[in-house]
Amino acid sequence: MRRLSGWRGDVLAALGALLVAAVLVLGLGSNGLVDFIIRFGIFGLLVLSLNLLIGTAGLVSFGHAAFFGSGAYAFGLLMQSGGWSVPAAILAALLWSALLALAIGALCVRLSEIYFAFLTLAFQMLIHSMVISWVSLTGGDQGLMGGVPKPPFLGIELARPTHLALFAAACLAVSAVLLRQVIRSPFGVALRMLRDNPQRAAFLGLSVFRYRLGAFVIAGTFAGLSGVLMSLYVSGAFPTFLYWTTSGEALFMIMLGGIGTFLGPLLGAATFLFISDRITAFTEHHGLFFGAVLLLLVLGLRKGMLDWAVEAWRSRRERHKA
Amino acid sequence: MSKTDPGGASRRGLLAASAGMGAAAITGFPMVARSQGRRPIRIGMPTILSGRVAQLGISSRDAVLMEVEKFNAEGGLDGRPIEVIVRDSRGVPAEAARLAREMISDGVDILFDGEPSSGGFAVHEVVRETGTLTLHINTETSAMSADPKQRFWNAFRIARQGIHDSIAGGVYAAEIVKAKNLRRWMTVSPDYAYGRDTTAEFIEYLKYFTPDVQVVGETWPKLFQPDYTENVTRLAQGRPQAVYSCLWAGDLVAFVEQAALYGLFSQSQYFAVNMADYTTLKQIKQLPRGVHSGNRYLSSYPAQPTNAAFGRDYQRRYNNYPTNWAWQAATAVHLTTAALKKVGSTDPRQLASALRGLTIDSPFGADGKVTMRAEDQTLVGYAIGWGTTIPAEPYVEGIKTADWNQITQLEQEWKKGKGWA
Repeated sequence: MRRLSGWRGDVLAALGALLVAAVLVLGLGSNGLVDFIIRFGIFGLLVLSLNLLIGTAGLVSFGHAAFFGSGAYAFGLLMQSGGWSVPAAILAALLWSALLALAIGALCVRLSEIYFAFLTLAFQMLIHSMVISWVSLTGGDQGLMGGVPKPPFLGIELARPTHLALFAAACLAVSAVLLRQVIRSPFGVALRMLRDNPQRAAFLGLSVFRYRLGAFVIAGTFAGLSGVLMSLYVSGAFPTFLYWTTSGEALFMIMLGGIGTFLGPLLGAATFLFISDRITAFTEHHGLFFGAVLLLLVLGLRKGMLDWAVEAWRSRRERHKA
Repeated sequence: MSKTDPGGASRRGLLAASAGMGAAAITGFPMVARSQGRRPIRIGMPTILSGRVAQLGISSRDAVLMEVEKFNAEGGLDGRPIEVIVRDSRGVPAEAARLAREMISDGVDILFDGEPSSGGFAVHEVVRETGTLTLHINTETSAMSADPKQRFWNAFRIARQGIHDSIAGGVYAAEIVKAKNLRRWMTVSPDYAYGRDTTAEFIEYLKYFTPDVQVVGETWPKLFQPDYTENVTRLAQGRPQAVYSCLWAGDLVAFVEQAALYGLFSQSQYFAVNMADYTTLKQIKQLPRGVHSGNRYLSSYPAQPTNAAFGRDYQRRYNNYPTNWAWQAATAVHLTTAALKKVGSTDPRQLASALRGLTIDSPFGADGKVTMRAEDQTLVGYAIGWGTTIPAEPYVEGIKTADWNQITQLEQEWKKGKGWA
């Protein structure tokens, strides 16, 4: 049992989840489900990466969509330029997102709390304005038009929704295992220490700047990967990917699912997408109904869903022991 | 956490129960009521029903529903009615793409893409892969059908096009320039792709016909900007003889009202391509006389009884006026039903083949007809006219109809210049 609590357990859990996704995609053959799995892969990756900053490092970023959008644009532009294979373009887009996160992070992580949040927001809006203004490269407000070519590689045809769904699920599973190892590593422990007491950590000789910058770059890179998947999904890239509302949605998914547990954000993303889709399907007053349902959930639970469930389970267990 | 607060606990319980019931209600609703008997022809339509552009999306949906109802009342396609499934994309391209996929998964026969250009291109890429017969009813960006890379067998555009409007506007303005000797021009257009592209194309054609025209200044307000003092001041200082603008809807209303305070409309000739739409005309408190405008939608132009009847029926039914998006949506229904009757089934390949080159009688045609041009699968022959505003109904007078032969010839040259023909 103990052997399964480390990285081996994570790998097994990820493989199990991937197997379930594969059965759902290939077995049921529902297009709606295939689409849901693709989008869950995309937003799941986005919220897991953001929660590395919020939940583990205590850095609330309002500008995380900057890396999501930059990954989407970088990948889309490379594929449209021709001569790039999908894996090479993905790696290049990830490298670009990492470099961007390094540059922005170097300026942002020196600050904390609300100042950090607003500086990340400012950088995101700066990049958004650049994308809108640089019409010849990005297509401006109309986005990257003309489609994103998806030449097959290693037998994977991403133009086919089932292949894309399995690819997105695999990206999410691999990323989740990697991010979990980051959180469990001494680096992750240091980040939590910085979150809880940065002065003490600095006093012990930890470089607050370097650790936070490291977390920022890792989070930005994984957000870039989710942007790549989004670009594959809609065959384009649009300025809304970089807009503050995208960051806001990711934040809300995390708050809904819970920041205290690793899987909380994933539950939040799935719930958010499911409720949003169902509401769109039966009413035109999306905002009214969506707001009301979310309000009830937030007021009723007063914390993220998984955090609430874990706490309820623990207190129940303690009561039984007593 | 307190455990001695029964009031709080029961409130939470109530809220949780409400949330549970809400979730159950949402998931329990069937998506579309299945009709009995013969399977209806299903049309999916993602469009914008909330936010700043909602009025246009709603008019698009309303026009589709009104025309579909007429088709169904006449017996549909051998007894098969059309069923329209409309969903709100909220103007988010990724959501428009998702909704299109969802509708295709749910088995719609035809997709009416009611998105503007940004969402329209996202839907375009979805249907390029799925091969669903799709009619783009609000995408005005010329590249969608003009660029050969964008074309494929199952996508059609049933909307006006930027390049057509620019050529027609250029021809009309050139005549006024010659008659009134207007050499010094300025422009005031929204600062985004549509504003910059449309302005550049208009000026290109204005100079094509009157090469000695000079643009002495440009001012670019932001989209949805509330205050135009800076732009109005700039125009007042520039003392142009003529001003071009492609501001639209609420932005144009705000600009006109602020510019009128400074008396700008008496100092210069104004050419506002998007003025003649009820969304603008009805909103301006004191519509200035003599502003030159292209028609977006007017029930008085083209002056056909069928067009007047469309405007009247729409107004009676919805207590509102049709928009440019409304006539385009209605035309989409007219062309689709004509193709359905011709083919007798919903086979997408056969319908696409029937649509290519199809000419139908239309309330909105320049000569009573519109055509789905076969070579680039885009609508031609719709009425484009320019006239001048008057403060009361019918709001625009002296409308001169653009010549489609000239538009087609110059459009072809424009395509060659772009390497698209």
